Amino acid sequence: MTTTSSPTSPAAPATPDTPAVRLDRITKTFGQDAAAVADLSLDIAPGEFFSLLGPSGCGKTTTLRMIGGFADPTAGTILLSGQDVTRLPPNKRNVNTVFQSYALFDHLSVADNVAFGLKRAGVPREQTRRRVAEMLELVQLPAFANRKPRTLSGGQRQRVALARALVNRPAVLLLDEPLAALDLKLRRQMQIELKQIQREVGITFVFVTHDQDEALTMSDRVAVMNAGRVEHCGTPEDVYERPETKFVASFMGTSNLMTGVYRSGAVQIGGGPAITVGACPQIADGAEVSVSIRPEKIWLSDFEPDMPRARGVIKDTVYSGPTTTYLIELAPGVTVAALEQNTARSRNEDRWVGGESVEIAWKTEHCLVLV
Amino acid sequence: MTTVDPQRRPGLPGLPGPDAPRRRRLARLPRLRRRGVEARPRFAFVVTVLFFVLLYLPIGMVVLFSFNSQKSLTVFKHFSTRWYSAFFHDHVLLSSLGMSLKISLVAMIGSVLLGVALALGLVRARGRLGSYSGLIMLVPLITPEIVTGVASLMLYKGLGVTLSTGTVMISEITFSISYVTVILRSRVAALNPEVEEAAMDLGATRWQAVRLVTLPALLPAILASAVLIFALVFDDFVLAYFTTGVDPQPLAVRIYSAIRFGVEPTINAVGTLMLAGSITLIAAALSIPRLFGRSGGLDLLSGD
Repeated sequence: MTTTSSPTSPAAPATPDTPAVRLDRITKTFGQDAAAVADLSLDIAPGEFFSLLGPSGCGKTTTLRMIGGFADPTAGTILLSGQDVTRLPPNKRNVNTVFQSYALFDHLSVADNVAFGLKRAGVPREQTRRRVAEMLELVQLPAFANRKPRTLSGGQRQRVALARALVNRPAVLLLDEPLAALDLKLRRQMQIELKQIQREVGITFVFVTHDQDEALTMSDRVAVMNAGRVEHCGTPEDVYERPETKFVASFMGTSNLMTGVYRSGAVQIGGGPAITVGACPQIADGAEVSVSIRPEKIWLSDFEPDMPRARGVIKDTVYSGPTTTYLIELAPGVTVAALEQNTARSRNEDRWVGGESVEIAWKTEHCLVLV
Repeated sequence: MTTVDPQRRPGLPGLPGPDAPRRRRLARLPRLRRRGVEARPRFAFVVTVLFFVLLYLPIGMVVLFSFNSQKSLTVFKHFSTRWYSAFFHDHVLLSSLGMSLKISLVAMIGSVLLGVALALGLVRARGRLGSYSGLIMLVPLITPEIVTGVASLMLYKGLGVTLSTGTVMISEITFSISYVTVILRSRVAALNPEVEEAAMDLGATRWQAVRLVTLPALLPAILASAVLIFALVFDDFVLAYFTTGVDPQPLAVRIYSAIRFGVEPTINAVGTLMLAGSITLIAAALSIPRLFGRSGGLDLLSGD
């Protein structure tokens, strides 16, 4: 697997700067349909935990399948550690995949499942046995070596799938929504575990998910995809705090997205108040823009001096344990959500109720003006 | 049922119980209604019993008279195994039995190999060609066997092929492929395509993936269909009759030839042995999936 030399780039020594995965202008079309992946370019650094995030049908799984070798790109090249693998079959690529359905071999024991790749690679029996044992240790399943996959729980099968892929020490591990089938609590636990395992083994992870929490908590970098394109690629903080497009702003968490006309540091919302957003030198006066403020960045009390403010009426309150969300109508048809922490300091009687008139405030640096 | 039928509870006259008013109300309804939906449907019961009597009475007679001490086929005298020992000393019948076993074995192996390949191909062939082939594949199942038999005979004659054991084998294989494919196809369709992809992801070639992952997953269904084909071919008369040559004939054909010259009770013994063998095989076919820890052996026969 690793010794396969590429015919197109014979001498491409992998330096630390060589990306583990490079997608160069990849396009994939199925029949006459619109492109599932359109002119996509990405560099993924060695050792990175990289997430492809997007709604279903955005092309993230297709992208992953092309890296794994299960789909041929219609155009473009795929390089793994500098080596062109675009036309190589999956068994000739130094990548392994954790499938969404786990795809375990039901007729083999857990240990034989994990040993499958090593046997194909011709690893000596004694070494295979040792590596399988180590890997089962890593995923905390040593007691289950002789069990059949069918007898395991969802979370355990997920770990077997992970061990079966990782034991081959691939250059890149591809994970296709591996936690989607687990219940919420187990998913949270596996998120932490997966991240720990990734740090421990130091293998590049390419992780496909539609769950933005998952992408934010686990990734070093996230590529937010929509309609076959990468809308924004950056650190979790980047894509959440400074989304580059309207789609990213609305897809990542909840966002108060209002459209209006920009004029010298403020956006006049149609039929509503002017939102002071601070000077945006790159935007011309009179331009049609969207302004986005995260609900948790809207203040309802303890204002600092010279914060822009607006008045509104509480339309609804949504209590969800640690936080409460208030829906505040600034003008007919213009409603914003504001999130308050239910901390020890804020007492029950301090909360607002429906119909109450309130003042909201924000900081201009938390306003995102998107064209 | 018991709570609404007052005749069933004669020992409780002074105890109306909580459901007494309801019971009185129900008693006024017509008798049919009173028996309720849980009552045993007598008509269906009678039909079922009749069905089994008609089905198994002739077979029962064969089994019974195979143990008769007399040559009579109408009067049972004593229990004896003389017709069994007669069979085991009849070289013509024995060689026919051997031939039938040989034909069944070859037909089983041949049709399973081709049928499994066809099932894999049909499920994976996308587009119109695949769905048309899937329909054509079913034709042998609904074609009257006599038509298949005559057609085979005419084909061999037309090609100038001498009828022999080989022609029986080829015809039986052709006829049996559909059964294997029908049984296997839904199993193949139910396979998770990601499993084969996982094998290739882990370094297996396409063929290795099929051999190491797909075929083991299909093994219970393959074994069950193999046993079924063996039993079907072993019992087959029509197709064998039209395509057999002068070599030792298959057992079913041999028995048919024999009874034209008068029925020997040896035939009863042979019939009983064949029945026992077939039952054993069918039972094996049904229980194989259970041996692999999966439910549903019966659905193999219904093709689901």
